[in-house]
Amino acid sequence: MSTEQEVNKKIEEGVKEAFPMADNVDWNEVYQRIIYRYSTPHGLQHVKEELYKLEDEGEIIVHHIKPYNNPVKMQSLNGTPKVIPTNKLWQHKSCGQCGHIPGYPTSVFWMMNKMEIDYMDEPHQTSCTGWNYHASGASNPVALAGVYVRNMWRAYEIDYYPLIHCGTSFGHYKEIRNMIVLHKEIRDKLRPIMRKMDMDIVVPEEVVHYSEWLYTMSKKAVQQKKYDLSKVNAAVHTPCHVYKLVPEDTIYDPDVFQGRRPAAPSGTVQNFGAKLVDYSTWWDCCGFGFRHILTEREFSRSFALFKKVIPAVEEGHADVFVTSDTGCVTTLDKSQWAGKAQGFNYNLPVLADAQFAAIAMGADPYTIAQIHWHATDVEGFLRKIGVPVDDYKEKFIQYLADIREGKTEPQYLYTPHRKIDFYLSVPERVKWYKGDKGANQKTS
Amino acid sequence: MFMGKKMATRSVLELPDDPRFMDMAYEEQGAVSEEERNLSSLKPEDRETAVKFWQAVKSDFRFDEYLRGCLNCGVCTSGCPAAKFYDFGPREMIQYMMRDEADKIWEFVNKKVWACVQCYTCSMRCPFNNEIAGLIMVLREYSVQFALESAKEILAPYRRVLYTVMTMGNQVTPDMIQPEAFPDWGPQAVEESKNMDVYRKSIPVDLMQRTDIGWHPSLQTAVEMMTIMFESGVMDSIKKVDPDLYDMIEDIYQDRKSQLEEIKEKWEKHELNENELPDSWLDL
Amino acid sequence: MAGERVMVIGSGPAGLSATKELTNMGFNVILVERESYLGGTPKKLKYSLLFPELRPATEVIDPLVKSVQESKNVKFYMESIVEGAKEEGNGFVVNIKDKTGKVTSEKVNAIIAASGFEHFDSRRKYEYGYGIVPNIYQISDIERMLSENKLVTTKGTPPKRVAILLCVGSRDATVGNTYCSRVCCAVSVKQAMEIKERIPDAVVHIYYMDIRTYGLMEDKLYWKSQLEYRVGYIRGRISEFMRGPNDTVIIKGEDTMNLNRALVVPYDMVILANGMEVGLGSKQVAKALGLQFEEHGFIRPSDPDRLPVQSTRKGIFLAGALTGPKTISDSITEGYAAAMKAYEYVTKGIWDESSFGKAVEVVKH
Repeated sequence: MSTEQEVNKKIEEGVKEAFPMADNVDWNEVYQRIIYRYSTPHGLQHVKEELYKLEDEGEIIVHHIKPYNNPVKMQSLNGTPKVIPTNKLWQHKSCGQCGHIPGYPTSVFWMMNKMEIDYMDEPHQTSCTGWNYHASGASNPVALAGVYVRNMWRAYEIDYYPLIHCGTSFGHYKEIRNMIVLHKEIRDKLRPIMRKMDMDIVVPEEVVHYSEWLYTMSKKAVQQKKYDLSKVNAAVHTPCHVYKLVPEDTIYDPDVFQGRRPAAPSGTVQNFGAKLVDYSTWWDCCGFGFRHILTEREFSRSFALFKKVIPAVEEGHADVFVTSDTGCVTTLDKSQWAGKAQGFNYNLPVLADAQFAAIAMGADPYTIAQIHWHATDVEGFLRKIGVPVDDYKEKFIQYLADIREGKTEPQYLYTPHRKIDFYLSVPERVKWYKGDKGANQKTS
Repeated sequence: MFMGKKMATRSVLELPDDPRFMDMAYEEQGAVSEEERNLSSLKPEDRETAVKFWQAVKSDFRFDEYLRGCLNCGVCTSGCPAAKFYDFGPREMIQYMMRDEADKIWEFVNKKVWACVQCYTCSMRCPFNNEIAGLIMVLREYSVQFALESAKEILAPYRRVLYTVMTMGNQVTPDMIQPEAFPDWGPQAVEESKNMDVYRKSIPVDLMQRTDIGWHPSLQTAVEMMTIMFESGVMDSIKKVDPDLYDMIEDIYQDRKSQLEEIKEKWEKHELNENELPDSWLDL
Repeated sequence: MAGERVMVIGSGPAGLSATKELTNMGFNVILVERESYLGGTPKKLKYSLLFPELRPATEVIDPLVKSVQESKNVKFYMESIVEGAKEEGNGFVVNIKDKTGKVTSEKVNAIIAASGFEHFDSRRKYEYGYGIVPNIYQISDIERMLSENKLVTTKGTPPKRVAILLCVGSRDATVGNTYCSRVCCAVSVKQAMEIKERIPDAVVHIYYMDIRTYGLMEDKLYWKSQLEYRVGYIRGRISEFMRGPNDTVIIKGEDTMNLNRALVVPYDMVILANGMEVGLGSKQVAKALGLQFEEHGFIRPSDPDRLPVQSTRKGIFLAGALTGPKTISDSITEGYAAAMKAYEYVTKGIWDESSFGKAVEVVKH
């Protein structure tokens, strides 16, 4: 009898694997359903199982998503759930965004303020070093794992869940997470280094990109929408590192391109009421190339223009290009000007989904979305959707003049850091910023 | 007028330099194994390094996981952005690897490997689940570790990025966008660099108000980054490629570490007077 | 031996042939079929000509359907599925549910599962844009278009340039199917010849990695298509499609005979040779009957070499494509074999044991 039960259990599992969420569904409906069975060499399920096994054995610490992170269950490529935490988040910023598209992170912060989401943004974060690594190869697996775990530790020790801003960091961290989980030799080399810094190997149970968070929140965010986007043709560039690295660990949604393309940022654009337009090279990269954007710009320029901007405009009649990663915004935005000399005057506005959403929700296009860092005609696009750009601009120019002359102090999205925080990462820092309400923190 | 002297003597068919193309080469070489004969196409001074390099790559813990097999279908190359512009294709690399062609790998790693844009389209689409872009990274890592000429060349313009990432854990600086360096980015880049100071000050986040760093990390964070880079052996490979850069970072590391230790000690003993610290540790 | 009853699940080539043999041997058959008609997938998708003899599918299927329909010893449960099989006495009590939800129980001595396969749904290979980009079809769509004599593009005209892509959903780890579907090469070559027969001036290209017209089909299909029809064979797998002007489809691939050379070619019509999967129907049957799956998701026979038509559960036999990709003639043969094994089992109690797969399995990744 027990063998029969075993067999039944095996079949249950087999069927479950084929259509994971279909325990009580109508079979006819199941016949119609498209089920992806993407498998990376090890399979994400396997990695997750190993992760919890290592936690049980005390090999690693797992940073769990807690109820106060307001987790929302989304669906990944295979139909398996991916849990997106939506509150109490640790901002893992992007170096390229902060350096060259500062309106990108500030739009994220601004929306979180608007939706009353608790977050921490700290000086105790390094970049993921993925840009340097993919460009030059000047790193190694242990160093990459060390950088990842160190950042994760800083989030873990104050019990805020890491939210990754950069697409490359996101994809890269997914790979590093798998590597740490699957390779003991990496953990063994990593552990003494972490101990040197009074840390241990901590791995969050999900790696989450902000665009996934934004899509998850978009239906709520859109309630605060200020401008009508229904006449906007928006083309989307889905960043490669978001969905091509560990493909089964990115959210998909049957509502977005029938579940055949990543849910973010296309779904966000859709939920904000813009018309999503399609073009044949949607899956192609933007031309950033990590090294190419600095030293092979002929390639980056040509690729961005001919493979992305021109198809988006000619095939999709796009008014705006929305994307969700650092390099893509930079490449698509900056590469268009040089085309003018050759007669390719497209000037298609390029925005990150965060900026796009924040502006639609009424964020100041200059002080918050910081569109003056963009080379393309974002202002023209904003005028089209009814944003009083000129009023904002006038005010902003005055603001800049006042800052320059020392007449005013900069405004802040959250309380500026204390001096000590620029030197040491003191564990009780959360209390200072959040008072006692941030007190369900770890004292590990 | 086309019949110059040289042209007149050149035959339509030229004999290839690579003896592997010629069946007749067996006359001279005898029937030697492919692996041995492959090497003869390399310059004698390169042979030893080429073999060592290939052995090192093959013994990396990721190699067997990333390279699984090849159906020769070409999906990787047809989706490849770099293959649309350069004489480059992922299938080429996979085939060299599958066939143990140390000489071809050597040629590939000294040039073509740098064409890849790391978009991972090939990895996502490969029906055999090869982690192709990851294999490219393994080759690139080892070319830095072996301090190959191509790696040195590639890293030269990257010095500043490397310096920033190693010492501050942040890869870009806003002020790196200088109009002279980016003339193709047009007038906006000029405007941006002209107003850099005030543009940065107007950003509503205190961490992002400097022009020389994307966000201002803490001193402890910077020291920890350098600790990871030294302890994990990354700096050892930098030493081989760019010894000056190594020395510079080493000095900074020692300075910052002792500054941090001093501040930490004082803080723990409640002796630290915060007012005496400069606003930024970068000014220490 | 009156009253011996065997249940056959599925009325495709395998199920029909098993039913026919069992009734010939004097058994009563309970035939359960999900659809409202007999004939299985060849009927459902309206297959045109069959390879390698290039004769109409109806010539093969219809006589089988007819003889089963005319038999007095077959009880039909149409538009019904099996829900569970409980062992009772020397047989099973099987619950059968019809489309209204009504459940009927039948007592049988043995069961033959012949619930077949499903074609791979090319929408799952999402970079191919099947269902989004016009004029991309699957071989299963083309069979219907050929048999209805309506092989036209969205513009209503016969295609002048046709590309056929092999191995869609087969030999592809990205969709989880790492096996070869065996029949798609032959079907595609057959379709290429059928298209050339009807549109002699059409250009037909087959994109392949390997051509597997194994056995006697090599010259009947692969060689003939070149000798007599000048079908072009291009080596390489297509990685994606673009919408071209005038509803054309532009395919992109690597010409693998010329290193790093790109193929960007327009066609009026693109045909995806979608492979075979066990399908949800057979998965449901396996669940209801308590059968095991093998590593590709097909149903596991108790011994793939020695006992290919015997399942892992005593008294249940297997026939046709539910155990792996098969041709129609193979399925018919398996129908015979399963009928014979069921006869032996019911009349003499013969059930072979096998040590296959009993050893501890090591799961490899």
